[in-house]
Amino acid sequence: MTFLAHGLVARSDLPIPEWLFGWAAAMVLVVSFVALAILWPEPRLERERWRPLPGDIGRLLGSRPVEVLCGAIGVFLLGVVVYAGLRGAQSPTANFAPTFVYVIFWLALLPASILLGDVFKAFNPWRAIGRTVGWIAGNAAREGLPAPLAYPERLGHWPAAAGIFAFACMELVASNGDRPENLAIATLVYSALTFVAMALYGVETWISRGEAFSVYFNLFSRIAPIETRDRVVGLRRLLSGLPALRPGAGTVPLLAVMIGSVTFDGASEAPIWTGIAPDIASFFQDVGLSPQNSLELTFLIGLTATILIVYGFYMLGALGAKSVGGGFTTTRLARAFVHSLVPIAFAYVAAHYLTLLLFQGQSIAFLASDPLGDGSDLFGTADSQIDYTIIGANATWYWQVGFVVVGHVAALTLAHDRALALYDQARLAVRSQYWMLAVMVGFTSLALWLLSQANA
Amino acid sequence: MYIAHAGHWLVNVAYFLPVVVFLAWLVVTQVKERRRGRSDGHSHST
Repeated sequence: MTFLAHGLVARSDLPIPEWLFGWAAAMVLVVSFVALAILWPEPRLERERWRPLPGDIGRLLGSRPVEVLCGAIGVFLLGVVVYAGLRGAQSPTANFAPTFVYVIFWLALLPASILLGDVFKAFNPWRAIGRTVGWIAGNAAREGLPAPLAYPERLGHWPAAAGIFAFACMELVASNGDRPENLAIATLVYSALTFVAMALYGVETWISRGEAFSVYFNLFSRIAPIETRDRVVGLRRLLSGLPALRPGAGTVPLLAVMIGSVTFDGASEAPIWTGIAPDIASFFQDVGLSPQNSLELTFLIGLTATILIVYGFYMLGALGAKSVGGGFTTTRLARAFVHSLVPIAFAYVAAHYLTLLLFQGQSIAFLASDPLGDGSDLFGTADSQIDYTIIGANATWYWQVGFVVVGHVAALTLAHDRALALYDQARLAVRSQYWMLAVMVGFTSLALWLLSQANA
Repeated sequence: MYIAHAGHWLVNVAYFLPVVVFLAWLVVTQVKERRRGRSDGHSHST
């Protein structure tokens, strides 16, 4: 249902069968686990170490003029997406909006967040508009603005989970989710909801707790060695932003949506899904739904089921960790280790969408020159072409396996570090991690199987 | 039919073999430890 094929080509000359890479990856995890148990006896990532960038660079990068400039760029791009979507050609590949939303915004921002920190927060158009409107209204109101409502704890990350799920439905379920006009309307609806929520709970509160994309990119930015504090950009230890995450209601489901939606995107290309999907769709047609609605409902069921399976598998790991003792509830353990799922989510996205980003991402060069698809050439790049030779099929596979292994080893390290901080006995900490290792090996095998299906 | 197409699904199973093996080892280890713990408890009480 995606508007862009992932641009993958079959590999023919790998030195070993693909499934053997899965075994090797599992072995790497087991060896890493043993190495961590021996060489990492105390929690190291729980302590936050942050220092500003040398000189005035950190202060300059985090200054208000830079923030205003970045916000203005974000608002401009939001406007271009909506305008191109509503007024441009209604072809997903000839219009700026679909490629910008699904490739540049959704995918390219991810490595930027991993390397540079919370980049999206600076460019977030909704935050920029919300802060500007709040500033103007605050100056205009004689008696000041009423205080925002307290954010309900029970909401936690649920709004963010719902937002990412809705985005995944738009991308993977809706038949016309790639139609520029639909994307523009969805953007306007989401913007309106965001502004209402900001008015109720305050701009920064909603951005940090409820706004789906802010929460999503902030999670990934916690891997980065760069963080902005009090308007100063500084350095910290790699991965150390993740233990500082304060999980609450909806955090585990949010991570399950993040991993599950990519899993479903891969699995929907596998024979196991292509074999049963037509049967499910024809059942819905038999009960009176149109062919299009039947297919959408079938994909919605597939997406939801995959997310529930991912959630269930992780909770099974938490249940296993509970069984070793320590007196923690399953929910407490699930939340305590949920930050370790973030590098796994990164590995899934990076591996699955690598070629989409590298190939389709190039099309932004000609789409920027001709955003409406009407033949204009604003920057003289309208005739540029996608270079499909920048990465070969085998190199793609090795990069994908690399992302999966590195992501899962990072996850294992985070879980090990948290276990050392959580349990008062080192023996219990290690035993609890047997179960987390099982979860990591499971996600690794699943990731490589999905990649093999997508490339079959 | 399944046997005739074994080559296809066996490859898929191969991906998940490490998980199955690891989980089996984990369950066996845990059951053994529980039994040992129970027998230690009995020997202490007698």
